[in-house]
Amino acid sequence: MLRKIGGALLFGLGGFLIGNMWFQPVTGGLPRAADGHPDLSGVWQVLNSAHFDIEPHSARAAMAMRPGPVIPVPAKEVLKLGAVGSVPGSPGVVDGGKIPYREEALKIRDENRANYLDRDPEIKCFLPGVPRATYMPYPFQIFQGDKQILFAYEYSGAARNIFLKDPGPPPDDSWMGQSVGHWEGDTLVVDVTGLNDQTWLDRSGNFHSNKLHVIERYTMTAPNVIQYQATLEDPEIYTRPWTMSMTLYRRLGADAQLMQFKCVEFVEELRFGHLRKKPLK
Amino acid sequence: MKFHLLIFFTTVLASVFVSMGVRLSDEYVPPKTSFGDPDLQGIWTNRSLTQLERNSSARGPTLTRKEEDMILARLKANHNTDTDFYELRATDARGVKELEIHGYDGIYGDQGYRFARIGGRIRAQWLTDPIEGMVPYNKKTLQFFKKRQYERLYSFDNPEDIWPSERCIIGFGSTSGPPMLNVLYNNFYQIVQSPGYVAILVEMNHDVRIIRLGGKHLPPEMRPWMGDSIGWWEGNTLVVETTNFNPAQGIAATKGQPVYVSPNSKVTEWFTRISNREIDYKFRVEDPEAYRQPWSAQMRFLAHPGPLYEYACQEGNLDVELILAGARYKERQNKGAGHVQRDSISLKSQVPPRLQSKSESD
Repeated sequence: MLRKIGGALLFGLGGFLIGNMWFQPVTGGLPRAADGHPDLSGVWQVLNSAHFDIEPHSARAAMAMRPGPVIPVPAKEVLKLGAVGSVPGSPGVVDGGKIPYREEALKIRDENRANYLDRDPEIKCFLPGVPRATYMPYPFQIFQGDKQILFAYEYSGAARNIFLKDPGPPPDDSWMGQSVGHWEGDTLVVDVTGLNDQTWLDRSGNFHSNKLHVIERYTMTAPNVIQYQATLEDPEIYTRPWTMSMTLYRRLGADAQLMQFKCVEFVEELRFGHLRKKPLK
Repeated sequence: MKFHLLIFFTTVLASVFVSMGVRLSDEYVPPKTSFGDPDLQGIWTNRSLTQLERNSSARGPTLTRKEEDMILARLKANHNTDTDFYELRATDARGVKELEIHGYDGIYGDQGYRFARIGGRIRAQWLTDPIEGMVPYNKKTLQFFKKRQYERLYSFDNPEDIWPSERCIIGFGSTSGPPMLNVLYNNFYQIVQSPGYVAILVEMNHDVRIIRLGGKHLPPEMRPWMGDSIGWWEGNTLVVETTNFNPAQGIAATKGQPVYVSPNSKVTEWFTRISNREIDYKFRVEDPEAYRQPWSAQMRFLAHPGPLYEYACQEGNLDVELILAGARYKERQNKGAGHVQRDSISLKSQVPPRLQSKSESD
């Protein structure tokens, strides 16, 4: 009798354990969501300086330059920043090195550079658009829900909803566009349309039109690493589609959290200081 | 052996049901996310004619159907003549009547079509304590609030004098709060959950409230907009505690529902999904230095198909520039003849009498 009860209890325990295991996430290797896809949830950030200039470039004195007696020098407005305002070098993140601009578009890019302080939307704390939001020098957080994925960027609190069911064409252009995601194996592919023409790709005047179509690929290759690729197609501006590639790193440790960077109020003196009742001298 | 197998499969089945959270009672049990947290996810709206404080036409915390119908009829009549949005000013020095547009076309309004029903009663106010339906500011706080409301109508010396919502820092009213209050439009929220976090995307001003489950507050000298939120689960209820408010936020106000949440307040929110289509939302605001007592309220969020749209405020904002430029222009015209008046009757009518004058005695 005792043996029968003991045996039953053992089987019961085994059954209980198995039944519970059905609803635990599959572990080992990459963190995975219940549906088996890699779980991209977490705080991520790039470790490169693509936000300055996505093309290969040497270090330079400042983002805004002017002609000097011998070589170009920092513009007057940024002179006092000294080395703090300098731009680090980078082998670039554009596959093939250079962005394949149309001739007229390249002229505009160069004009953007020459008029940097007037034109970069980041200076006015405007939304960064896609893909610039990914490699801003601030982290972002992915919330991978069962039916929706949300990206929250520290820079200006920008946010992107990744629809997992296609809602149809975007009703209008917007700064962050409309993102529709689907999985190809372990890669999250995000198709972005409906971007307006107001954002740049970096702090070096690289830009696009509102015909831009971006396809992003997020491939988790290790628990704390995502390989990111973005293919840009814009027949008005580029002669062909082109791709950028970089690595996203998971922020770890007690300080791995998004801080608030609501830069709107930081630029009020710049934009409206002259309209104060008593403007500063 | 058969007996053992029976016990085995029965236990498997029972444990499956237990881990799925199936109860034997009738009470609604919210679904769980794939990682086991109660599921609050989806798109929700709190739009309603019910506001935080008691509706001026109500005689108690609730309304009868007849009272609601009367209020709706009056609102409908007013909406047709657009008196909310247009104001005919007195003639100017050239004898020309100026039609001044204050806000927006009626097309933007999306404040809901009825008052909220909670527990079978039509609510004239969200406040549950004090039941009299007025936020229990203490004398000092009310004085400060009145002063700031007055300044809001008359002071345009600096961008910092303008409402945070018009500066495009946060949304109007207390739409993101916390507490999250319904306003004139954009009353949409999207909740997305991942392990250890609940994220609430507030449509206006594309703000994501990131609630760190089991997190610790920032040091007291750090004062982000919308404060700092940590949370935890109590059964199926998400409890969120927010402190560290930015001192400039509390003065945000909107048409019909000015509310001052003091910077040292502790705001506690309780989110419970009570059906597939409804979240019960309760909150309490505590600051013994600012209020005569803690105050509490209850609201409902209803499921909505959405989607949420981008609210790119900063990118298209002409408010700050034109308000300041306009004030400077008027000053040049007046050449020091008293301070510039933002506007007249219509804006004042949006501010309850108790908050209108600078002095404490009103």
